[in-house]
Amino acid sequence: MNPAFFKKVKRNDRIAKWIITVGGMAIIFSVVFILILIAKVSLPLFLAPDKDLRAEFQLEHKTAEDKILALGVDEYLETGYRLDQTGTFRFFNVHYGSPLDTLEVSSETGSRRLVTARTYGRLNHMLVWDDGSVTIEHVKFYPFFDEKNDNVRSIRHRIERLASFAAPDYGLPVETMARVSDDGRQVRIDLFRSGEFQVTIAEEEESLFGAGDRIEEMHQLELGAVGDVTAMTMSTDGLKLYAGTSTGEILRWDLSDIEAPLLKETTRAFTDQREITALNMVFGDISLIVGDEQGGVSTWFPVRDADFGWKLTRIHELQGHTQAVQDVSPSPHDKSVISFAADGIKISHMTSERFLVGFDHGAERIVDFAQSTRGNGVITLSDHGTVQSWKLDIPHPEISLKTLFGKVWYESYPEPTWAWQSSAGTDDYEPKLSLTPLIFGTLKGTFYAMLFALPLAIFGAIYTSQFARPKFKAIIKPAVEVMAAIPTVIIGFLAALWLAPLIERSLGSMFLSLILIPAALMLSILLWQGARKVTPLKQVERGYEFLVITPVIVMAVAIAAVLGPGLENWLFGGDLKQWLFNETGTRYDPRNCIIIAFAMGFAVIPIIFTIAEDSLSNVPQSIKAASLALGASRWQTVWRVILPSASPGIFAGTMIGFGRAVGETMIVLMATGNTAIMDLSIFNGMRPLSANIAVEIPEAPVDGSLYRTLFLTAVILFVMTFIVNTVAEIVRQRLRAKYGRF
Amino acid sequence: MTETRIENPIIEVNNLKFYYPGNARALHGIDLRIPEKQVTALIGPSGCGKSTLIRCFNRMNDLIDGCRVEGEVILEGENIYAKDTDIIELRREAGMVFQKSNPFPKSIYENVIYGLRIAGEKDKRLFDERVESSLKAAALWDEVKDRLHESALGLSGGQMQRLCIARAIAVNPKVILMDEPCSALDPKSTARVEETIKELRNEYTIIIVTHNMQQAARVSDYTAFLFEGSLIEFGSTDQLFVKPQNKQTEDYITGRFG
Repeated sequence: MNPAFFKKVKRNDRIAKWIITVGGMAIIFSVVFILILIAKVSLPLFLAPDKDLRAEFQLEHKTAEDKILALGVDEYLETGYRLDQTGTFRFFNVHYGSPLDTLEVSSETGSRRLVTARTYGRLNHMLVWDDGSVTIEHVKFYPFFDEKNDNVRSIRHRIERLASFAAPDYGLPVETMARVSDDGRQVRIDLFRSGEFQVTIAEEEESLFGAGDRIEEMHQLELGAVGDVTAMTMSTDGLKLYAGTSTGEILRWDLSDIEAPLLKETTRAFTDQREITALNMVFGDISLIVGDEQGGVSTWFPVRDADFGWKLTRIHELQGHTQAVQDVSPSPHDKSVISFAADGIKISHMTSERFLVGFDHGAERIVDFAQSTRGNGVITLSDHGTVQSWKLDIPHPEISLKTLFGKVWYESYPEPTWAWQSSAGTDDYEPKLSLTPLIFGTLKGTFYAMLFALPLAIFGAIYTSQFARPKFKAIIKPAVEVMAAIPTVIIGFLAALWLAPLIERSLGSMFLSLILIPAALMLSILLWQGARKVTPLKQVERGYEFLVITPVIVMAVAIAAVLGPGLENWLFGGDLKQWLFNETGTRYDPRNCIIIAFAMGFAVIPIIFTIAEDSLSNVPQSIKAASLALGASRWQTVWRVILPSASPGIFAGTMIGFGRAVGETMIVLMATGNTAIMDLSIFNGMRPLSANIAVEIPEAPVDGSLYRTLFLTAVILFVMTFIVNTVAEIVRQRLRAKYGRF
Repeated sequence: MTETRIENPIIEVNNLKFYYPGNARALHGIDLRIPEKQVTALIGPSGCGKSTLIRCFNRMNDLIDGCRVEGEVILEGENIYAKDTDIIELRREAGMVFQKSNPFPKSIYENVIYGLRIAGEKDKRLFDERVESSLKAAALWDEVKDRLHESALGLSGGQMQRLCIARAIAVNPKVILMDEPCSALDPKSTARVEETIKELRNEYTIIIVTHNMQQAARVSDYTAFLFEGSLIEFGSTDQLFVKPQNKQTEDYITGRFG
C-alpha cells in the first residue's frame, strides 16, 4: 500500500476514535450533569436548619423592678420592642441595642399599670390592666420613604388598638384571656379566685340592614369535676376555647353561639394526671399545642370517633424539655411550634415532628422571647437583661423523610395517611407533600399500560416475524413504527376527550367484549379445525390468518356493543357505574386506569413491538430450520427455540417500554384526572410523578419547599428509570450469555 | 444414463420436478432409488440442485414461499407429497443435519432430547438413555459426558456438528439427510464426522450432499451425480469413481469443471 495513503488511513482512524470517545463521554457527562443539577436543587430539603447569633447586648434603661411583659420584633429583625408594666413600648435597634423611641398606651379607663400581657398572632398583644380592663394592641411596622431626604427607606412603627374590654363586674380575675375577631366579635374569658369561669361575648347583632346593635352576653362556664384550670387558650377568632387542668384534663368549648357557649368535651389527656402547663393554638387555629409539667410538647385536634363523636386526640409528639413547659406558642408563619421551659427554647415543626433549633443563654435563664412574623428570626431575653438576636435559616421545616414517604396525620384528617396536596387558598394551610401516592400513581399507570401493551406488542411481534407473510410484515412494521411518531399530546387528548366519554358511556360493552373476544376466538379456532380439511382454506394458515381473525374480532366487538346496554339493564339495573358504587363502593372516575391502559399502551406498543420484532427476526433461520427438521410445529419452534433466543431483545424492548411509560407525561397529564390517591381500583385515576411535575412546577415558588420537592420527584423519576434500565441490562446480559451469540 | 438396480429402496423418487418461486425450475424430473442402510452421496457442481433434492426428502422446501413440487417421493411406500401427509411425522422419520452446525441455545442434553420433547415425551429415563446412545453413536459421548448440562454453544465447530447428528438420530429416524455437513469444518473435525458417518451406516440410511469428491469416495456406498437439475449418473461409489459411464461425470470427477 502507498505509505502516504496508509498514513492517511491511520490518521482518519485516530480522528474517528477520538470523536467517538469524546461524543460518548459527553453523553455520559451530560446525563450525570443533569442529575447533579436536579439533585442540587432538591438537596437543601434535607439540610439541617441553621441558626446564627446576629447580636447580643444588654437592654439599656432597665431597672431591676422593671418587669418586661412582652417582646416583639419586626420581620426584618431590625427593630425590636419591649413592653413594661407601665404600658410603655420601648423600641430598640436589634443590631446594637440602642434605644429608638417609646410609645405609651393606657387603658380606656385610664389605668397605667399592667398586670400581665400576652402575645398572639402577628404582633398582637393582649394587655390586662390592674383595674381588670383589657386592651388588645397591635404593633404595626411599615416602610417609610422620606421624600425630603432622597427617598431613604426606613421602617417606622405605630401602635393600633384593636379592641378594649371593660373590667368584669365583680372582682378582679386571676386569669384573663381576650380575643377580637376580624369582624369585631370580642370574647373575654375570666377565671376568678372563687373558681368561677366566665365568658363575655360581644358582637354585632345580625340584621337585614347590615350592622345592627351591639349585644353583649355573659355566661358562667361549667367546668365539672376536674382539677384547677392551669392553662387556657382561644383561637384567634375567639370561637374555640380550650382549658387545661392541673390533673391532665383538656376541656373544649365552642363559643360560636353567643347565647349558649357549649362545652364540647372533657378529655383526660394524660392518664398520669400530669399538669397541663401551657396551651396555645398552632397557626391556622386547628391544632392545639399542649405543654405539660413533665416537659412534653404535643399537638392535638378533635378527631371523629364512632363512639364519642369528636374527640381531642394526640396527633404529634414534638421534642420535649427536661423541665415543665412554661409557654408554647405557634409560629405566625407556618406550622412550627415554639416551646419554652427553664432549659431554653425549642422550635419544632408539627407536621414533620422535626426538632429544628433550640436556644439557651448558658448560665443566664431565658425569660421571654419573640419571633419575627416571617419565622426567620427570634430574639430572646434573659433574666440578666441580655438580648440575643438569632437569625434562623429553616427553609423547609415541613420536609422530612417521614413526611415525604411515610404516613402523616394531617390536620383535620381522620387518620394518618399519604397525601399530596401542595397548596390551598389560605396561608395557614398545612402542605401535604407525600411522594408515596405519586410513586404509586406512576407504578399503577405503568402497570396497567404494560398489562395492555405487553401481550399485544409481543404476540404481535411473534406473529409478524414468524407467521405472517413477508409482504404483510412489510406493511405492518412501518405502520406500527409510525404509531411511535404520533405526538403524545394527541394521544392524550384523544384519550381524554374521545375515549374517556366513550368508555364511560359503554362500560358494559367494553367488559362484555373482554369476554366475547377470547370466546369468539376460541370458537373460531374450533370451527377452523373442521374447515381446514378443505385444502384452499388450509392455505390461509400460511400467513393469512388475520383474514379470518380480524372479522371475528370485529364481530365480537360489534356484538358486545349491541348487547352491552341490554346486559347492563338486565344484570346491573341499568347502570354499571351506579351498581359498582352501590355494591362495592367503587367510584367510577371517567379518567381512569382503563383509559390510561389504552392510551399509554398505545404509546408504548410500537417501542416494544419494534424491538421485539427485530430480535425475533434476527434469530438465525438455521435454528428455526433445525427445529422444524426435527418435527417441531411452528408454534413449538417459536416457543422452544425462537423465543428463548430472542428473549434478551424482547426483554430489552419491554424494559425500554417500561421506562417510556414511567416517564410518559403528556398522556397521563391529560387522561388520568391527576388525582393523587392510593387505590388499586382500575376505575380510579392517579397522579404520576411526571404529570405532577408538569402540573405543579409553573406555580411553585422558586426555591420553596414545593419547588424543591418537585425536583426531588424528578430525581426519583431519574433514579427509577436508571434502576429499571440497569436491572434490564443485567438481565439482558445474563439472557444473552445463556442463549448465545445472536 | 445407466441404471443401477436397487432392490427394496427406502426412498423412491419418481419424475421429481421442483420450481422455485417465479417458476424457476431447479429439478428436471429426477428418478432415483436410495438403498436402505447405505450411505448415498449426492455430488455435483454448485447450483446443480443437490441441496434442493435432499431438502425435498423431508419437505424442508415447504418453508420457501411460492415453490412448487411435481412428481413423487416415496418413503417406505408412501408418497410424502400426498395431500394427507403429516409433515411433522415425515420430518421425524427423515432427520436432517445442516451445512452450518445449528445447535439450539440450550444445554447439550436438551439439544439431544429436543426431538423427544416436542413429541411430548416426558420420561426422564428414556431421555438419559437416548442422550447416551445418540451421543455415543455420534462419537461425541466421551468428549461431553461430563458437561452434558452446559451450553451447547461452548462446543467446537466439529463437536457442534456431531451434536447436530446426535440430535437428529435421537428420534430414531429412518433416514438421515446431511446437507454438506463438513463444509464449515476444519480437516480434523471433518475426519471425525466422516468416521461418525461410517459408524452410522449400519443403523441408518444416510444421504449426504457433498462438494468434496474425496469425501464422497471415502464415506459413501452409492453416489449420484447431478448436473443442472438432472440426475446424470447413479451407481455404486466404486464404480462411479473408477469407471464413470457418462462423459460429464468423468469430466466432473477428474476435475475438469465444477
